[in-house]
Amino acid sequence: MRRAITIILLIVSITVPFIAFDVLPVIGDPESAPNTHVSDYYIEHAIEECNSPNMVTAVIVDYRAFDTMFETTVMFLAGLSVVIILANRPKSRIPAPESLKRLRDTSGRPVYTTINKDVMISIIEPVILIYAMYVLFHGEISLGGGFQAGALIGMTYLLDIMVVGRKRPIFNLPKEKSAALAGIGPFIYALTGFVSMIGGGLYLEYNKMPVPVHQAELHSLGITAVEIGVTIGVAGTIITILNALTERISFDDDNN
Amino acid sequence: MTLILQAVLLIGLIGITIAIIFGRDLMTSVVIYCAFSFLTMLLYNIMGAPDVAFTEAVIGVISTVFFIIILRSIDRKTK
Amino acid sequence: MMTTINAFLAAKGLYLLTLLLLSLGVAGVIVCNNYMKKLICMNVMQVAVIFFFLCLGQKDPGTIPVAMNEAVKAAEYINPLPHGLMLTAIVVSLGTTGVGLSLLLRIREKYGTIEEDDLLKKQAQQARRDKKRRELHHPGDSE
Repeated sequence: MRRAITIILLIVSITVPFIAFDVLPVIGDPESAPNTHVSDYYIEHAIEECNSPNMVTAVIVDYRAFDTMFETTVMFLAGLSVVIILANRPKSRIPAPESLKRLRDTSGRPVYTTINKDVMISIIEPVILIYAMYVLFHGEISLGGGFQAGALIGMTYLLDIMVVGRKRPIFNLPKEKSAALAGIGPFIYALTGFVSMIGGGLYLEYNKMPVPVHQAELHSLGITAVEIGVTIGVAGTIITILNALTERISFDDDNN
Repeated sequence: MTLILQAVLLIGLIGITIAIIFGRDLMTSVVIYCAFSFLTMLLYNIMGAPDVAFTEAVIGVISTVFFIIILRSIDRKTK
Repeated sequence: MMTTINAFLAAKGLYLLTLLLLSLGVAGVIVCNNYMKKLICMNVMQVAVIFFFLCLGQKDPGTIPVAMNEAVKAAEYINPLPHGLMLTAIVVSLGTTGVGLSLLLRIREKYGTIEEDDLLKKQAQQARRDKKRRELHHPGDSE
């Protein structure tokens, strides 16, 4: 009864002030306040100034690149805090449930002998990694970018842990070293900003990088370098969190 | 037309949230959270944001697996 | 009838449903006794906020914000600014969920349970035991 009263009071107090008065704009109006001031400039000048038809990438990595640098730093700090919180040595590793121990064969052969563990993983994982590289480098022309590519690399590591186990995964690192690897991402991002200051421009101004290529290519070069930093940051954080969680909870049913 | 589709998907999301709050087993809540993530990816696609939908599809899978890893170490019954 | 439904949805209907989802998420965080369900309801709240932001950037005859040909006019494409902000928000929420789950593991190791009622009872028991032990060893101390 008390739970129902709490839920109803919360619903009424959050919905009524916004709906009873006409404070929110009509959906789909091209003249509403968020659509008029600076977004028109971004839409019309994305191709000629940033050399990228994907306007979302042009906004987050070229016009608002300072924001994205701190978002990458926040990702790295989340991975670091997971390492710090779980830094104590646990008393014992939490074992597999009892119902699966009964099925175990005592002669040493694994219980699940499927084709997935030996053959299909070696075929599927390189395809996913190549797709991640494609998404990273085509982020300016079509949909994609650095965040999606980093998450795909993290998903490859997750697949490897689930199928093969913790004894021989692809990236065999303890959680402290993978947190250090995740820190290389924001470092590459900040370094690109300093390179453009060497050429005489402001921080993260891609027009004045001292690289001897054509004027239109400088933006593409800057965007690609920055997105590589974002990818390494996101992939490293996902690998760190997975390593930290599976050091205490056994996720593999055979090699226990 | 797209507005009606978005409203229907939102009503589905509200129903899923009620099922998450009032579920008795934690595995139920985690599996329904996976369906929630999938429905939000469809919603972002219909609204015209395919970048956001791509990101949500990948992150939803990884987030659900985080929850399932934790679920092996706690007891699943809850009232 | 379809146009009246469309007009109602565009002016107030979609906002009503979004705010309903947000308030259900907040209610879930407050009402649920289990810490893992509180984390799941936090993610529900985040989806409602992201949908609200993406609603504000819609344009009626617009298409997805990838330029199709060289000559672009601002009225033909959806506003790309909210999409950029929400992209990073989704990825950062993954990190937040990871930190929350590691705190959950430490709570489970120390107290043995993750229901809030049992946790508060155990904390009250430990506080009473510490107070009794302190009075036994140092009698007559004024706090």
